[in-house]
Amino acid sequence: MDELDALRHMRTALAQEEHPDRIALRTDWRGGAARPRRSLKIPVVSLAATAALVVGVVAVVPLRSDRGVTPGPGRSGAVIRQGDVLLVAAARAQEAPVGEYWHTKSVSGRIYAVGTSAADHYKVDSRQGSESWTDRSGKGRSAHIELADVPLTAQDERKWQAAGSPELVRIPAPEGAARSVYLDMEPPSVKDPGWRPAADRYYGLAPDQIAKLPTEPEALENALLNLRGRWQAYSSKTGKEPIRALRGQQRVRALSDVAATLLSTAPAPPTVRAAVFRMLATQPGVRAEGRATDPLGRTGTVISLPLETTVPLGLYTAPKQLGTYRRQLVISPDTGRLLAILDLVATPPRGSRKLPTGDDGESRSLKARNMPDRFHRPGELASYQVFEVTEWTDTEPPR
Amino acid sequence: MAMVSHARDELDDSRIVAASLEDPDAFGELFRRHSPRLHAYVKRRLGLALADDLVSETFATAFRQRERFDGRAEFGAWLWGIASNLIAKQHRQETRMYRAFARTGVDPAEEDVADLASDRVSAAALGSRLAKSLASLSAQERSVILLLAWGGMSYAEIAATLNLPLGTVKAKIHRVRAKLRKTLPEETTDG
Repeated sequence: MDELDALRHMRTALAQEEHPDRIALRTDWRGGAARPRRSLKIPVVSLAATAALVVGVVAVVPLRSDRGVTPGPGRSGAVIRQGDVLLVAAARAQEAPVGEYWHTKSVSGRIYAVGTSAADHYKVDSRQGSESWTDRSGKGRSAHIELADVPLTAQDERKWQAAGSPELVRIPAPEGAARSVYLDMEPPSVKDPGWRPAADRYYGLAPDQIAKLPTEPEALENALLNLRGRWQAYSSKTGKEPIRALRGQQRVRALSDVAATLLSTAPAPPTVRAAVFRMLATQPGVRAEGRATDPLGRTGTVISLPLETTVPLGLYTAPKQLGTYRRQLVISPDTGRLLAILDLVATPPRGSRKLPTGDDGESRSLKARNMPDRFHRPGELASYQVFEVTEWTDTEPPR
Repeated sequence: MAMVSHARDELDDSRIVAASLEDPDAFGELFRRHSPRLHAYVKRRLGLALADDLVSETFATAFRQRERFDGRAEFGAWLWGIASNLIAKQHRQETRMYRAFARTGVDPAEEDVADLASDRVSAAALGSRLAKSLASLSAQERSVILLLAWGGMSYAEIAATLNLPLGTVKAKIHRVRAKLRKTLPEETTDG
């Protein structure tokens, strides 16, 4: 951290921009007709350690205006300077309450084009939900939530209706193994959510290890760099390596994947979450980029990661996408929460690629014309995860 | 962000100033546009309570003197220039706060935002060292470096705001950074 960065980290709690109406209220600003209502009043500041230097002051006197209680920086309607978004989020995350259970509810979606041409198609959001409760010992229960697949936008909905509102819509099989597959637009009948015991690990970290992660950003990064895993998006090598072995973008990518998990589904204590936000703020190329709405309609601030192609790490031995993608985190600085992870198309899929032979012995290949995002334009949503609930609570989990 | 990036097709600031000569209420739009960022900056320099007063005084001054605004500079630079002069008048007050922070490790400017106490703790170690050197800077040196670090301004914007030649701004920033650097612990970088 150089001296300019150090300065930027100073007094971040005060860097929050407030809504002009709030400022107008507190400053008695009355439009153009405002007059200075009085001369500046200087609040008393003491030097607690060396009171002798300042006549008549003995204790640390908090800065208060003579108007009584001044509202703190607004939690609602506040606007925050871009460079400070992650630091403000960190401060908020740290204040989050703790409880007996870690409770999360999330939805992941992938966007599929339905139709035969860029001009004539609609997009469907194919969704899966999950909910989990984890206690302090790391034991938990989780359930899969059935969700209907839905048209992505109002316009997509009209096109789906024009097609007769089919309950099953046909799409090309992305991996070429079957001729076609279907998306299920029928709302699921309510049934037993099927709670199962779970003892999840998060990039190899058990809940008790997560609880003990460092709470200073540098120390946290250092600890995460030791995480061993399959950090290549796809690789013929199957060995594990520490993140520290990666360089440049690959390292930022692995770290930001772990960071996003620690900020969302992992049972990380508030202090660790705060450190994750601060760590993200120091990663090269990680930028705040203005406001956005997440797939649940909540407003947040976009943090964009300096990466292209975000095939899930470590899952595949072959790449299963033909486009490239960039990843954004949508965070709420006001609550210190990660709201969603969005993967946007950077370059739409092109060409084809052979895949290893499947279990049935048939040869398979990826073709651009079968890909879910074959009609996407750059910048359009390819897939997402949205976190509806991520909280520590004392509420008992459902039985 | 919403407050600073209003659409291009809206009236630009200097036209609003001109309109406010006839219709004083029009000036309110400039408050709406400029107060959040300016207020956040002043808060950071002088604390919350003083910031409210100073921002109020800044806009009142700008309003009174709006006939003198000739549109040659950006309205924002002119406004921030007024605020910078008012902040400079609080030089001793600001210095006291930095000194108090340096000596006690508690930043009086942040006293009002007690709910963010946690944020203070991690920043305090470096912050109090920085505060010590900030206390030793002249009013102009302080403005130059803090418009950069906290105001998020470019060198050119700082030059326009403080009415200084660009070269002077660069030289001052260079000097102040060197001064601040000395107060920080040795850089520890690992690859």
